[in-house]
Amino acid sequence: MSEDLDLSVAITANNLRKVYPGNPPVVALKSASLKIADNEFFTLLGPSGCGKTTLLRLIAGFEDITDGELILYGNNISNLPPEIRPVNTVFQHYSLFPHMSILENVAFGLRRLGTAKLQAEQIAQEMLELVHLGDYGSRMPNQLSGGQQQRVALARALAPQPKVLLLDEPLSALDLKLRQAMRSELKRLQRETGITFVFVTHDQEEALSMSDRIAVMSSGEIQQIGTPDEIYERPANRFVADFIGDANFYDAVVNTTSENNINYEIHGGQILQSPIIEGITVGDKVTLILRPEKIAFVDNKVKNTLLGKVSEIAYLGNTTDYVISLSDDLTMKVRAENHFDGEPIANIGESVNLAIDPKAMRVLSA
Amino acid sequence: MKLIKDILNRYKGVLPASLSIGIFMLIPILIIVVYSFMIPNPNGGVRTGFSLASYQKLFYDYDLFDNLVFNAGYLKIIFRSLWISIISVVASLLVGFPVAYYIAMQNTERRNLLILLITIPFWTNLLIRTYSWILVLRDTGLINSTLMSLGIIDEPITLLYTEGAIVLGLVYTYVPFMILPIYASLERLDIRLIEACRDLYSTKWDALRYVVFPLAKPGIIAGSILVFIPSIGAFIAPELLGGGKNLMLGSLVQLQFSSGRNWPFGSALAVVIMSVVLIALLIQAYNARKNGSEIVH
Repeated sequence: MSEDLDLSVAITANNLRKVYPGNPPVVALKSASLKIADNEFFTLLGPSGCGKTTLLRLIAGFEDITDGELILYGNNISNLPPEIRPVNTVFQHYSLFPHMSILENVAFGLRRLGTAKLQAEQIAQEMLELVHLGDYGSRMPNQLSGGQQQRVALARALAPQPKVLLLDEPLSALDLKLRQAMRSELKRLQRETGITFVFVTHDQEEALSMSDRIAVMSSGEIQQIGTPDEIYERPANRFVADFIGDANFYDAVVNTTSENNINYEIHGGQILQSPIIEGITVGDKVTLILRPEKIAFVDNKVKNTLLGKVSEIAYLGNTTDYVISLSDDLTMKVRAENHFDGEPIANIGESVNLAIDPKAMRVLSA
Repeated sequence: MKLIKDILNRYKGVLPASLSIGIFMLIPILIIVVYSFMIPNPNGGVRTGFSLASYQKLFYDYDLFDNLVFNAGYLKIIFRSLWISIISVVASLLVGFPVAYYIAMQNTERRNLLILLITIPFWTNLLIRTYSWILVLRDTGLINSTLMSLGIIDEPITLLYTEGAIVLGLVYTYVPFMILPIYASLERLDIRLIEACRDLYSTKWDALRYVVFPLAKPGIIAGSILVFIPSIGAFIAPELLGGGKNLMLGSLVQLQFSSGRNWPFGSALAVVIMSVVLIALLIQAYNARKNGSEIVH
């Protein structure tokens, strides 16, 4: 039974810790525990310095583990050097060998594993075709564009058919259009090869659009692990809510409860609502999290609305952000789609009524 | 007139460089080449007249009966010089590469300090530095007395006045010329390439072999040439540490200009050294052109 369970888990990290010696020592990873499933597209997401790259480098074997253990498909690899680990890395800056042709680069891993030259080159050629660079084998890396080099780096890492592919911000050096094209490309490659991908990025859009699951990290700790919609809709804490997408945060006190809803009083006396949540009673202090796109402009005939005045407008193309003053020092960001002619729904200085579905409210105990 | 003006206009930018190269390099070389075809003056210097005697002397000698006979003596010296120089280059590479690699892997501050330390020996006169090796190597020197007091040996080993001592002296003198160019090429080496190599199932040695060495090749070649050129014409180390027993080209040239009083032959020997150096440079240029497209850095 337990063996079957183990096979579905690609990577298990138990209390992984990394401290760089120095004065004072730098704690890059406090204590990370996670399980990455076989054939999963798993993303480590966080701002720079959050420990995501350190975690990736620990899995690759480039850094020694200070404490904890790392298990790959049931084998403890905590102390194995990188050349023994059946994982390959796609580096942020490609790191193609400049003195080797593209084909030699892609065949390199296989050659080191002892594959015969002809066979290695044949597989390398197939890999190049997989990333649409079949005709580029004889070129040198410096003759390729950044996007092409990135795809060669992918082919090179995939060629030895690793059990896990590690990707260290592979798209960050590409321009926007190329980045978007590479996202679906990566997703396709992961589907076609069936290899477990561990992807490191600071770009939430990348993470949300590609991942099966995401681990949000900050200051050397994993804040939350979940599917993209779990992370976005039900952030575990204020950091996650703030880092992924935009959010309004309000400190509030539970005012009254009714049959269906809990009413919260925010600064300035206005009331926000959420569905009944077990364990929350009148008088509790909480933090309310509200996504700007889940707030609607309504007319004044609707009951239970928030009142405010438009203080700022930012036109973003497909949407417009409105900053609404609820009271002297309390604002609410509202995002509305632009329809037809793109005329703003409300103008600066205008009084507006806002409606919020209680189900859109996320409540954190303060 | 207009033509001359045009030429002057076109080349006036390189005129200072051309002049200094001409005065300090081409003219002395020309003098040596011309002298090598002249007739020796018994009191030193040369007499006018054209003669190939100096070049003939490299291979042939006159016996008692004035017959021209083949004489391998000078060829032996030439080949010994080549041999000792090549050994010195290899030894310098073996010593210099790890040092250069070590320095290149340090942080910037330590790198600069270590590079400074490498150049410190240049602050002292070469002659004095070479003399101090005599104190270390001689029968009653540091090495022998230490080994004897430790009871490892009973009698001093002959270290001084051997070819090994010459190689030691040359490596000691010229190894910085090996270290610096290799360091320069390793400094630009992207450490992440080594990581990429390790990631693709390479041990540390494989990474050295497949990534570090190929990318350090320009530095290795430059360093080898920089050690080889002064070694082939070296004078101080063979003289002091070889005791003049194992004559090398540099000493031979010196001998011809001093007690030998045969300036044309000395010049001919100098031309031989220059030719060897030129051949080495041409081989390097050929290699550089061949590999030019491969070397990106």
